[in-house]
Amino acid sequence: MRADSGLPAESDVWLIMPVHNEGPVVADVVTAALAAFPNIVCVDDGSSDGSAKLIAGTGAHLVRHPVNLGQGAAIQTGVEYARAQAGAQFFVTFDADGQHQVADAQRMVARLRLEEVDIVVGSRFHGDVSHIPWLKRQALQAAVKLSPRGRRLGLTDVHNGLRAFNARVAHELDITVNGMGHAGEIVAMIDRCGWRVAEEPIDIRYTEYSLGKGQSLLNGVNIAFDSAVRRHR
Amino acid sequence: MTVIKIVLILAVVLLALFVLRRHGTNRGGAYVKIGMAGFVVFAIYAVLRPDDVTWIAARLGVGRGTDLILYLLVVGFAFFAISTYLRFKELEFRLSKLARALALAEAAERERGEPDHPAPPG
Repeated sequence: MRADSGLPAESDVWLIMPVHNEGPVVADVVTAALAAFPNIVCVDDGSSDGSAKLIAGTGAHLVRHPVNLGQGAAIQTGVEYARAQAGAQFFVTFDADGQHQVADAQRMVARLRLEEVDIVVGSRFHGDVSHIPWLKRQALQAAVKLSPRGRRLGLTDVHNGLRAFNARVAHELDITVNGMGHAGEIVAMIDRCGWRVAEEPIDIRYTEYSLGKGQSLLNGVNIAFDSAVRRHR
Repeated sequence: MTVIKIVLILAVVLLALFVLRRHGTNRGGAYVKIGMAGFVVFAIYAVLRPDDVTWIAARLGVGRGTDLILYLLVVGFAFFAISTYLRFKELEFRLSKLARALALAEAAERERGEPDHPAPPG
């Protein structure tokens, strides 16, 4: 499936990890990901729990926002850092709370190498969905139904944080929504910029930690509002 | 003239002076100043001759002058809320650009200093 033979496997891939107060898990998540992806940039989004120190001990690159800006801003910062690195061809956004699987990311990068797509978006709605908490499932599927763009592009999981994309997307990406509403903005950019998009079934590991840290459903209200007033260009 | 009238007129005049002194000199600022001047004239007039406001209200199909003032207040407040919101958004956008530039510059600096990603200060 992948070019496993050569030692510098995935050396043209950059993992972008927005981090905000993930102290309890971030070092383990980064270490596990480093085994497959040698290039990781963690964007510490003004954490107050020493996440930055823990990241610094792992060998991942670290960029620190002086103040907390939000996950969308952190992803944009990470992409701008990564796309300036020599040899960077592929980029993956990966959550720092341990809910994403390295194997899923590897599969998505492999598709970028083989297929004619610019961006591969993870979806948790292929196959068995019974592990997703019921209320969360309803909210996420409602979000898909409410997104005409997402439907048109054939996306089933608009708010999935695991994405892999190529250099073209990385250079055109310009997230202006700082908070969680950036997912909708990325879908809008896929549409506007004409990026060729594909979906890859992925697993989300809903641990107690990630559920506690994850977006509350009430935050969906904020996301909807952010999308409504997003700067339209 | 009742005390409340003096208090209201004084408040309006002080507010106007405050806004006119503080605002910038660009085009938008000029419109704000014109609007503010109009507001001051109308406010003082309304305080002195409340019956005239009631007359205008009746012409517009609104019952009392106070109701007219209330409606204008609601519209004015909505306008204020939206413009403030947009302003904050714009500010937030600039802040992110600034913070991002700072973060990237700091990271580049740190990596130039020591290639092995040393522990950040703090």
